[in-house]
Amino acid sequence: MIAAPQRLTVAVRTLRTGTRVRQWIFVFAVAAVLALIPLLLPLNGKPHADWLQFLGRFHPLIVHLPIGMLVLLPILEIAGVTKPALREAAGFVLQIAVAACVLTIILGVMLAYGSGVTGSTVTRHMWGGIVLLITLLICLTVRPAWAAGEVHRVYPAVLAAALLTLTWTAHQGGSLTFGSDYLLRYMPGPLKRFIPTASSASDAAYVGSVYMRTIHPIFDAKCVACHGASKEQAGLRLDLYELLIKGGNDGAVVAPRNPEGSLLLQRVTLSPSDKHFMPAEGRTPLTPDEISTIRAWILAGASPSAKSIAGISLAAQNTDLPLEPVGDYSSFMSEIRQMQQSSGAKLVAVSAKPSDGLILRTIDVASSFDDAQLARFQRFAPFIVEAELARTAITDASFDTLSKFTHLRALHLEGTAITGQGLAKLSSLSHLTYLNLSETKVTTGALAPLKSMPSLRHIYLFNTPAEKASADTKDTNATLRSTQ
Amino acid sequence: MKQHPRCTDCENPITPLDLPIPSTLKREWAAIETRRRFLGRSGKVLGWAALAGLFGEIGLRSYAKAADITAASSGQNNLGLPNFAPKAKRAIYLFMSGGPPQMDLFDYKPNLAAQFDKDMPDSVRGNQQLTGMTAGQARFPIAPSHWPFAQHGETGTWVSDLLPYTARMIDDLTIIKTTHTDAINHEPAIMLINTGNMNAGKPCLGSWLAYGLGSMNDNLPTFIVLQTKTNPKENNQPVSSRLWSSGFLSSEYAGVGLRSGADPVLYLDDPPGVDREVRRQMLDTVEKINRQTLAEVGDPETNARIAQYEMAFRMQSSVPELTDLSKEPQSTWDLYGPDAKQPGTFAYNCLLARRMAERGVRFTQIYKRGWDVHDNAVGMLPVLCQETDRGAYALVTDLKRRGLLDDTLVIWAGEFGRTVYSQGGLSHENYGRDHHPRCFTTWMAGGGVRPGITHGETDDYSYNIIKDGVHVRDFNATILHCLGIDHNRFTYKFQGLDQKLTSPVTAYVVQGLLA
Repeated sequence: MIAAPQRLTVAVRTLRTGTRVRQWIFVFAVAAVLALIPLLLPLNGKPHADWLQFLGRFHPLIVHLPIGMLVLLPILEIAGVTKPALREAAGFVLQIAVAACVLTIILGVMLAYGSGVTGSTVTRHMWGGIVLLITLLICLTVRPAWAAGEVHRVYPAVLAAALLTLTWTAHQGGSLTFGSDYLLRYMPGPLKRFIPTASSASDAAYVGSVYMRTIHPIFDAKCVACHGASKEQAGLRLDLYELLIKGGNDGAVVAPRNPEGSLLLQRVTLSPSDKHFMPAEGRTPLTPDEISTIRAWILAGASPSAKSIAGISLAAQNTDLPLEPVGDYSSFMSEIRQMQQSSGAKLVAVSAKPSDGLILRTIDVASSFDDAQLARFQRFAPFIVEAELARTAITDASFDTLSKFTHLRALHLEGTAITGQGLAKLSSLSHLTYLNLSETKVTTGALAPLKSMPSLRHIYLFNTPAEKASADTKDTNATLRSTQ
Repeated sequence: MKQHPRCTDCENPITPLDLPIPSTLKREWAAIETRRRFLGRSGKVLGWAALAGLFGEIGLRSYAKAADITAASSGQNNLGLPNFAPKAKRAIYLFMSGGPPQMDLFDYKPNLAAQFDKDMPDSVRGNQQLTGMTAGQARFPIAPSHWPFAQHGETGTWVSDLLPYTARMIDDLTIIKTTHTDAINHEPAIMLINTGNMNAGKPCLGSWLAYGLGSMNDNLPTFIVLQTKTNPKENNQPVSSRLWSSGFLSSEYAGVGLRSGADPVLYLDDPPGVDREVRRQMLDTVEKINRQTLAEVGDPETNARIAQYEMAFRMQSSVPELTDLSKEPQSTWDLYGPDAKQPGTFAYNCLLARRMAERGVRFTQIYKRGWDVHDNAVGMLPVLCQETDRGAYALVTDLKRRGLLDDTLVIWAGEFGRTVYSQGGLSHENYGRDHHPRCFTTWMAGGGVRPGITHGETDDYSYNIIKDGVHVRDFNATILHCLGIDHNRFTYKFQGLDQKLTSPVTAYVVQGLLA
């Protein structure tokens, strides 16, 4: 590495011949012209002559030509170590790669300028192409000196830079064609964790509305690839509500309460063979259900915040509390294993996700599982979300222990000897939603403290004095009913 | 053996040198096919085989390690299941073998009354192929249901008068009017809904669950099948152990069938003179011999046999306790009705299913035969409903009042439905109905499904689906979902395929059914 600058000065010294200086001047001139392209032909969302687009649409075809050659290039150079003929070929391949690259960029600019596309990904893709061509020109200029043995590391370094630029630019191009999540959507879950997910702007204010739950997902799946932050065809973006209402180059696309007059709806309901049919370019059309949903939404005023709209059925909101993740118990695994062996009771994972917690299962040793046994599990208490203590030998004394099971969601005490003395101690369990006291001696009076537990929604009192006492008073019947 | 046409001498079979090929090729063949080359090549093949063996094992070991942590805590298979926190821990499947007629029970079609004995429009049936039993029929007269329907519950769901008890719990049910299947005959259809495939050899739902989720208790099987005593007056289609077979999974995961008589398991008691200690010693010795066999032969079925012997030993004490109903309170008998006192009836089996749910049995399947009403539907349906209606109602209600319905999924289904047109003669007093795979009604209740809804719509003839069809594969995918399993990720490698309950055609979890 230290030698590199020295080598570079050697390289510069060897370039003092006139032709090479002229070559460098040429490279800088081309680079300057290339850098000016975005300024001379601004992508401002306005489409231009059709013939530009016609030719420009060959860009996605031609683009594979320089890609293939550039991938071939390092292979030839490396193989050239043993077979000099291949190294000679590499020089030629580099030349036609540069030519193909020039052609590709011209077509690409034609496509972008002609169709009037805008967006950050388009801009990045264009700059990528320009930088790539400049890097390749440097390669082309440096290579003769490298082949002659005058410089050593400059050419491989620049070539490597060119290949990296190529990869990045190609990825931008792929994102333009297939959508930005195309590459990683089906990546296996465990790998996905290592990829930071870009948090894009969103209509956070409208969470839960009909728009966010039904309309936005349709746009997201079918439209945003071309009408989004990364690519703004016709100046239209459908990823944010404000921009949707603002419309595109042809004006507003949504006319509230007037579905037939809404450009958006007109475009998606044209005949698929129509030039203006959306989604364009053979992408998946909207389904009749999706279209009728959008129609109903526009008819109702295209509100971003309305929570219910006639004609649109929302899947029932999950009313259950979201599962509170328990801490990491992996360091306890060996202790847990020992405990299971010595007590016979089991700690079973709720699911493959450790943070879903553990279930304390006593069914195989129920008759001998008493207060002391339960107390032994206290050290795992924060990780236990469900305690199956039905028909065990525990008594009211266990409520002290149970009050430490801070993540407990469900507690089975049916068929035990408890009377309910000390149920008040459970009031510290803020996640408890299910409590089964069936076939115990629990009385109505003992239940009073449970009223202060808002999350406790399922209480079962089958075959208890509490149930019998309330059989004729409507009040507790209602309590029982509310348990469902 | 058939000889090659060019081969006239079996002692000296033809070689490439005898073939009509260019002589240059023959020379090349002769040059390369030397002993040295043969030995050299064999050596390489062996080397590669050894390498594959080494690397293969490394690959497998890393696989096993990944799944270790969940297994360590649960003592189950290293499968990383459930995939997500389940709503239901266990399931009880009430299987109505034969195909209950949906339009006589749940799928209310008031418009049909006016069309009594009219021909069903050809457009409804389309080009559907019928069974051999009605394909030859000259006409297809519409047979409206013989029984009136009424609205029940807060949801105002229409239920036939045949099901007075089911009507009482209608608000707890998730009714699917648009279940449909591929097969039109009993055997393929019942195999398809149970195992996901019309051909035998695949594991059934219960075996998949036993394999994937494992046991919740040590003393009872994970998957139990209860058969209801047959009523000889009914048209009973056979059900067989194929339906609770573990297919290509280990036999440990097959359903354990309890007899429908007074003695659910024969020879449970130790014979006179054999006490528990002697029995234990015998089993220990047998296990030693079995382990020896396993070491010698390496057949996993030997493992299954060891496990089954141990389970049988424990069942000697757990089954009598399970089937001893003497401690059931009077409220149980009030709920399940007098039938439940008789072993082998549907109501008795429902009561057993509730007791198994309490004792940690993962999956119970109750088979009730006799729904195949090709003729005399009017005579037989009241009998069938009387036998099953109260038991199903009692089971769901009992689970609910005991707080078990929150994490138990109850499923009620047959293998298909029945036709709206009459098979054989139609009169005001009687009709028959043929098999109908295009739509039939099923229901679920409990953990994971949304109570009080009716899913899907059928046409005016209860013949075709108009909206929201649920294929039996989707039905099974939804059941697995309620139990915390992603049906697409729950696979078992067999015959070179990642086999699953819902393969080979893509199936979907029916979101509209979920709570």
